Amino acid sequence: MFVHLSKKIELKILIIEDEEGLRESIEEYFTEAGNVCETVSTYQDALSKINLYRYDCILLDITLPGGNGMDILKTLKKNNHPDGVLIISAKNSLDDRLDGLNLGADDYLVKPFHLSELKARVSAIIRRKTFNGSNLLIFNEITIDLLAKEVKVGQSPVKLTRKEYALLLYFIANKGKVVSKNAIAEHLWGDGIDMANNFDFIYSHIKNIRKKLIEAGCGDYIQAAYGMGYKFTEQ
Amino acid sequence: MKLVTRYNRVNLVTTIIVMLITGVVYYQAISWILTYQKDKDLKDEEQEIFEYADLNHHLPQTFVTRDESITFSEAPPGSVERRFIDTTYLKKWDKDDTKKRRHHKGPGRYEPGRGLMSSITVGDKYYRIYIVESRVETEDLIQLIFMITVGVVLLLLLVLFAANRFILGRLWLPFHNIMKELRLFSIADNKEIPKVETNIDEFKELNNVVVDMASKAKHDYKDLKTFTENASHELLTPIAVINSKLDTLIQTENFSERQSKLLNDLYGAVSRLNRLNQSLLLLVKIENHLLHEQRQINLRQMIEEMIVQFDEIFQDKKLSVKSFLKDKEIYASPYLAEILLSNLVSNAIRHNYNGGEIVIALSGRELVIENTGEDEALNNEKIFTRFHKASGSEGSGLGLTISKEICASFGFSLDYDFRNGLHTFVVGFGKP
Repeated sequence: MFVHLSKKIELKILIIEDEEGLRESIEEYFTEAGNVCETVSTYQDALSKINLYRYDCILLDITLPGGNGMDILKTLKKNNHPDGVLIISAKNSLDDRLDGLNLGADDYLVKPFHLSELKARVSAIIRRKTFNGSNLLIFNEITIDLLAKEVKVGQSPVKLTRKEYALLLYFIANKGKVVSKNAIAEHLWGDGIDMANNFDFIYSHIKNIRKKLIEAGCGDYIQAAYGMGYKFTEQ
Repeated sequence: MKLVTRYNRVNLVTTIIVMLITGVVYYQAISWILTYQKDKDLKDEEQEIFEYADLNHHLPQTFVTRDESITFSEAPPGSVERRFIDTTYLKKWDKDDTKKRRHHKGPGRYEPGRGLMSSITVGDKYYRIYIVESRVETEDLIQLIFMITVGVVLLLLLVLFAANRFILGRLWLPFHNIMKELRLFSIADNKEIPKVETNIDEFKELNNVVVDMASKAKHDYKDLKTFTENASHELLTPIAVINSKLDTLIQTENFSERQSKLLNDLYGAVSRLNRLNQSLLLLVKIENHLLHEQRQINLRQMIEEMIVQFDEIFQDKKLSVKSFLKDKEIYASPYLAEILLSNLVSNAIRHNYNGGEIVIALSGRELVIENTGEDEALNNEKIFTRFHKASGSEGSGLGLTISKEICASFGFSLDYDFRNGLHTFVVGFGKP
C-alpha cells in the first residue's frame, strides 16, 4: 500500500492540553493541513472524549486540571484502543519518559518544542500506526523507503547523508509550513547543541539537498522564507 | 587528638600530681607522728633518769641496749640547753654475729637516730644527759608505707589506663555507631537513621537530634525537589507558549526584512532562555544526584559519534579536528556523559577562530581536548563558576559549571591549562 501525501488525508487528532495558548497554536498548526482537531483542557473532558471517539493521534499533556494524563493513557490501553499517543510534558526526567513509554505511549516530547517537531513526531506515529507493513512514503515524484532509508526521484536513486535524509522527512512532514532554522538545528543536532544563533551550517545542508534532488530531476520544493527558515511547498 | 587520648593524658597527669602531693604530705605526716612518738620515748627515759636520781641520789648506771644508749658527762652548770636533735646512732654488732664482725671494720654500723640532750644536777654536780635512740625501725616503717603508697599509685594508674582504654572505648560505642550512620546517610535515598540502643543520656540526645535533623533535611530536600519540578513546569510552559506562537507567527506571509530580523532575534532569545532554564534544572539534578541510571559506556565510541554529529559545524568554521582515541570504558550515566562531551566540544568550537584546530585525545588515564583560540590564558578559577562568560560568548555561562559538576559526580577531575597556545581541558579519570 502506498501513501500519497500529495492527496489530502484527513487525520483526526485530539489535543489534551490545559495551557490555552499552547492548545490554540497546536490546533491551528494541525488544522491547516486539512486535518480535524478536537481540543479539551481538563481530565474529565478528555476521559469522555476518548471513551466516545477514536483518533489517529492523541497529544496528551501529563499535568491536567482534575487528574493525571498518565491515567488517561492507562484507560486507553486498558480498553485496547488503538489511538496513537504522544505525550507532551514539561517533565524532562528519564523516569517520567520511561513510565510514559512503558504504559504504551508512542512518543514523548518535552516542552518547550517547535510545532514543526511536534508535527514530524505525529506524522511518524501515524505512519507507523496506519500503514502497517508498508514502508514507502511518496510525495509527488519523491519515493522514500522508510525501512531501507533510501530516496528515489522517479526511478533514479538519490544518495543522501543521514542528516539530509532526516531533513527531507522533516520537511515533508511539515510541507506548506515555514520551518525555522532553530527548529531544524534542534531536530538534527538535538538540544545539546548550543551554537546560539549561528545557523550558517544549515544553509549548506539545504543547498546540498536541493542540489541532489534537482540533479535527479526533482522539482525545487525547498524555498528560503524571509531569512528565518525554509518552506517545503508543492509550488 | 582523640577525646580518649586527651582525657587519658589529662587524667594521668592530674593523678600523678595529686599522688605526688599526697605522697609528700603522707610522708611528712607519718614522719612527724613517728618522731613525736620517739620523742615521747626519750622523754619517758629522761623522766625515769630523773626519778632514779631523786630516789637514789646518784646517777643510774649507763648502759647500751640494742636500740638505745644513754651517756652522762659532767658539764659546767647551766651550759646544757634541753633539746631534741637528729643524729646518728652507732649500732654495735651482736656478739654472736661473727660474720658481720669479720666483714666490716669498726664496732658497728651508724644508723639514723634521735637524741635528747638534757641535764641533771645530782648532789652538787651538773651532768649532761645524752639519750640516743635508733630510728632505723621508724625509717623502715616509713619506707614500707612509702613503698605501699607507690605501689598503690602505680596500680591505680594501671587500672585507670586500662579503664580508659577498654571501658571508655565501650562507652563511646554508641557515639561511633551514630557517626557510622551519619556517614552512610544519603539525603536522596529513603533510608532513615535508626535509633541507637544506649542508656547514656548524652548519646540518646545526640541520636535524637541526628534523627530529627536527618528527617528535616529529607523533608526540605523533598520540598526542594518538588520546587524544582514545579519551577520547571511553570517556567517551561510559558516558554513553550512563546515558542509555539513564534512558530505560528512565521506561517503568516509577507515579512519585511526588518520584521524577519526581529523574529530571528526573538527565536534566538527564547532558545537561549530555554537552554538556560534546562541547564539550571540539570545542575540541580546533578548536585542532588537525581540522575541515577548508570551503565557501561565506551567513551571512544561516544566521542567518535560526537565528532560525526558535529561534523557540519567543524566544516562550517573550517576547523581541523584531530583525534587520538584509545579504548576507555567508564561506568556512568550515559545522559550526563553525552552532555559532558558535548559541552567540552561545543566550547572548543565556540571559542575557536575560523580555520582553527581542535585536538581530542583519549587515553586510559585522561581525556584531553585542546583548541586554538584567543592567545591568552583563561582565568583558571573563574571559568568554572556559574554565569562566568568570556566577553562576546553566546553561551549560557553554565556549560563549564555543568561539566565540572558532572566530572565531580563521576569522581573525575576537570582542569584547565593554557599550553603552547592551546586552551586545554583535561578530564582525569582518577584511579583505574
